[in-house]
Amino acid sequence: MIGIVVVSHSRALGEAVVALAREMAATPPPLAVAAGLDETTFGTDATEVASAIEHVAADTDGVLVLVDIGSSVLSAELACELVDPELAERVTISPAPLVEGIVPAVVAAAGGADLAEVAAEAEEGLAAKQAHLADNDDGEDDDAPAPSSPADRPARFVDVVVDEPHGLHARPAAALVALVRSFDAQVTVANLDAGTAPVSGTSLSKLATLDAGRGTRLRVSAEGPQAREVLAAVEVLAARDFAPEAPAQAASTSPAAVRGTATGFSRGSGLDVAIGPAHVVRDEVNVEGYQSRSPGEELTRSDEAAARVADAIRRQEGDDPLASDVLGAHLALLDDDAIRAGVAGRIASGDPATTAWQEVLGGVATDFAALADDYQRERAQDVRAVLRQVLQTLVAGPNAPLPQSKAVPEGAIVVIDELDPATAAGLDAGAVAGVVTVRGGSTGHGVIVARSRGIPIFTGGGATAAGIADSDIVGFDAASRLLVVRPNADETSRLRALLESRQSEADEAQGQAHEPAVTADGVRVRVAANITSARDAIGAGTTGAEGSGLVRTEIVFGAESAAPSLGRQAAEFLAIASGLQWQQITIRTWDVGGDKPLAFLPGPDEANPMLGVRGLRLMRQVPDLFDDQLRAICGAAEQTPVRVMFPMVTTRDEVDWALERLAAVRAELGADPIPVGIMVEVPAAAIRIAELARGLDFVSIGTNDLTQYTLAADRGNDGVSQLADGLDPAVLQLIRHVADHVPDGVAVAVCGDLASRVEAVSLLLGLGVHELSAVGPVVPGVKQAVRHTSLAAARALAEQALAAPSAAAVRELLRPAR
Amino acid sequence: MGDTVDLDQFSDWMRRYAGVIHDNAPLLTELDSAIGDADHGSNMDRGMTAVVDALDVGEFTSPADLFKKVGMTLVSSVGGASGPLYGTFFLRFGGKLGAGPVDAEGLGVALHAGVDGIVQRGKAAVGDKTMLDAWVPAVEAYDAAASSGVGAALTAAAEAAAQGRDSATPLVAHRGRASYLGERSAGHQDPGATSTVLLLETAAETLG
Repeated sequence: MIGIVVVSHSRALGEAVVALAREMAATPPPLAVAAGLDETTFGTDATEVASAIEHVAADTDGVLVLVDIGSSVLSAELACELVDPELAERVTISPAPLVEGIVPAVVAAAGGADLAEVAAEAEEGLAAKQAHLADNDDGEDDDAPAPSSPADRPARFVDVVVDEPHGLHARPAAALVALVRSFDAQVTVANLDAGTAPVSGTSLSKLATLDAGRGTRLRVSAEGPQAREVLAAVEVLAARDFAPEAPAQAASTSPAAVRGTATGFSRGSGLDVAIGPAHVVRDEVNVEGYQSRSPGEELTRSDEAAARVADAIRRQEGDDPLASDVLGAHLALLDDDAIRAGVAGRIASGDPATTAWQEVLGGVATDFAALADDYQRERAQDVRAVLRQVLQTLVAGPNAPLPQSKAVPEGAIVVIDELDPATAAGLDAGAVAGVVTVRGGSTGHGVIVARSRGIPIFTGGGATAAGIADSDIVGFDAASRLLVVRPNADETSRLRALLESRQSEADEAQGQAHEPAVTADGVRVRVAANITSARDAIGAGTTGAEGSGLVRTEIVFGAESAAPSLGRQAAEFLAIASGLQWQQITIRTWDVGGDKPLAFLPGPDEANPMLGVRGLRLMRQVPDLFDDQLRAICGAAEQTPVRVMFPMVTTRDEVDWALERLAAVRAELGADPIPVGIMVEVPAAAIRIAELARGLDFVSIGTNDLTQYTLAADRGNDGVSQLADGLDPAVLQLIRHVADHVPDGVAVAVCGDLASRVEAVSLLLGLGVHELSAVGPVVPGVKQAVRHTSLAAARALAEQALAAPSAAAVRELLRPAR
Repeated sequence: MGDTVDLDQFSDWMRRYAGVIHDNAPLLTELDSAIGDADHGSNMDRGMTAVVDALDVGEFTSPADLFKKVGMTLVSSVGGASGPLYGTFFLRFGGKLGAGPVDAEGLGVALHAGVDGIVQRGKAAVGDKTMLDAWVPAVEAYDAAASSGVGAALTAAAEAAAQGRDSATPLVAHRGRASYLGERSAGHQDPGATSTVLLLETAAETLG
């Protein structure tokens, strides 16, 4: 990467310029400032410039020096004489105007451009302003050929409309540059309305010259190996109003990082019901035709196959963050030293490459499948998916095209042995009607990915599913566990009717997504969204979420290796608020423990982390980190409505401690008060809520943890997972207790899974809950359920549920309510 | 008297110049306020005060050593363009001086090297209304008088510098902050040329 040094007469100016430029990239290049003789004395110091260059050069391949006026130039030149001559060769002093130059330079550098490219970008920095302010009505523009005349038109293009209110300004343009740079394709962009010449899609400064305001039509053309892919990605970006993706996450296998919600990509119907012709995907690769050769040749073939599969995986990356994590895990498997050594060892002892991979990865899959942890167990699917690809590549031979998953015909139902996450992420959610799996439960990782993308999925179809042949008509309703193969006319019309009624319900809910949710008897209920990223917030904003009832900070920053700075945290909170149209967001402080550690905040190694040092308990051991987050929250609160929420609270003493820290931070910053609340997850907190919630503004019930603590059952443990049901009357009694005993004026919210279950909405309102926070995609459905509820009836329903003998009985009660 | 200049004399020159700059700082700033950013006097005063501080604590074994310190100190303490310009002058000037006393010819070589450094750093020429309008005639006059000894040569240089400074006063500035004023810079005496004249006058007094 290329680093940047800013030389200015004024330290304040230099630092401000760098701060401005940093905004342009999720991962800015190394930047240093050599400005002013001290905080207030204007001037430049060549020795300072030299050390700034040395500092930045240590981590970069080259340094671009941007200067303001007069002695800045002289000091920068002198600095190049003061540093090591070899280093000086990697330094360029830019003649660009400082502010106009640094912005495109940072974007280019962040995208991996070399020194000459970064320098050229900086120099072009003034062009956009010049073009914009040049006489607009000369109409002659003879040096600007009409874009894409048929003769010189590249093979592919897409037309997109700029829907961003402020046009293709620097931030959306930066997102476009970052995206384009990540593909192997040459991309140009032309303003169809202005008819000006196409400009390079990798140049922020040139994109700015397009002067594309809101509503401008752009033609994006691409050539090269990934032309098709980059155009598809550009369309997605444009559909997302050019909102940049969250910073690329490291290949992470933590469930927290993976279980986000994909938004902005084509989505499935989300109706849980589907009917269509079967498209059977056979997992087994037939290796019988594989001709084994000498161990030396087999090793070469094995290495080549692994490399080709890795290449293919890398090309799939960058599309969907959910998929990226999974694909990163696949790459890690291919790159695993132990696995590669195992394969090589078997080949050396005479195994064909196919057998070697089958044995080694098969063994790994078996090991994973035997693990106690649900999530770890699911990794076996990843291993099998990688094995399948390697075997396909080996069997197809080195010259065959890479094995691609057969294109799924539009409207088909994919029938597959089990759905691994990569396959789930690779399906075209807008085209496929649904998925039926032979094996696997409803909580597998691939299933979660499919669901989050709105793909109807029927899991564990067993022998019925195994018997499905290609093109058989298949129908299912996942909600009522109905699976029909080759349905008769009657069954078909019933499924179609179900599909239609679900669709019209969904359409109705979607149509009113942005309307407030008011019960039939006139009570307004806030329906907010649970948020795990700024991108998530944008999605929730489009589904009508009224702000956020839970921002999971430990997931928002879950991929970071170091504690995010105060400024970074505040900026992310503001990005989230922006996605939700600046409605109130509820920021939960770090909810971390031994079971879900962060790289920068490892929880203690505990025998029973769920009952250990987590949430607020852990914060008391690292108060500085806690204070820093409170500072960031207070900082964000100055600009947008914010509530703060403390997780894993058990005693009043803990509440007081957190309130004291908050008061101290506020006093230090001179910040205004912000609404404060606690999570109610621990039965003790629910029981003593009158005492714990004294002086607070709200409480929010985390039904997942409250359920597992109340019933002493781990959801992830098959042996007891049935006990861990949020509808258990014991849990409902605790919710009722909280609603009845909070001090007057304290709002009661639910942000756990129960709030995302449409059928439970009426019950929760009847128990006395005032606010709901659900996952973004179900917000319209939850709102609709609120509208169908009358509080009087809901209270009666709640009384019945509280007195019900079991969770199953409660579920029966709820069935007609849907 | 004195056909050579030694370390102590060079050191005296710098100390004396620091005093002269301090006394003339208001004048230099006033000149600069007419056509620049009103900081040449205070910048040079801060720089030369730092030089004296450095001379007080440093042990120097040769003129080369001494002027390396002077140059680097000016570079990091003056702040304005005169920092790198005078800094470069002294770095290059000192680079041509050996360990022992230097004669008139050697001093001339060093002056040339220093002035070349200013030309290279500032990319200005005579007539641009900069310190070079004083420096360039000064080194020419020095060369012409060098055979008469260090004192005479430096006196000639100082006189030529003053003439050069004055001849630049009616000119329009083409370099530096004054160039932003364009025609309006004409008629004002250049502060950089002024501090150069002071430097050479002090040299004639202390090194001659």
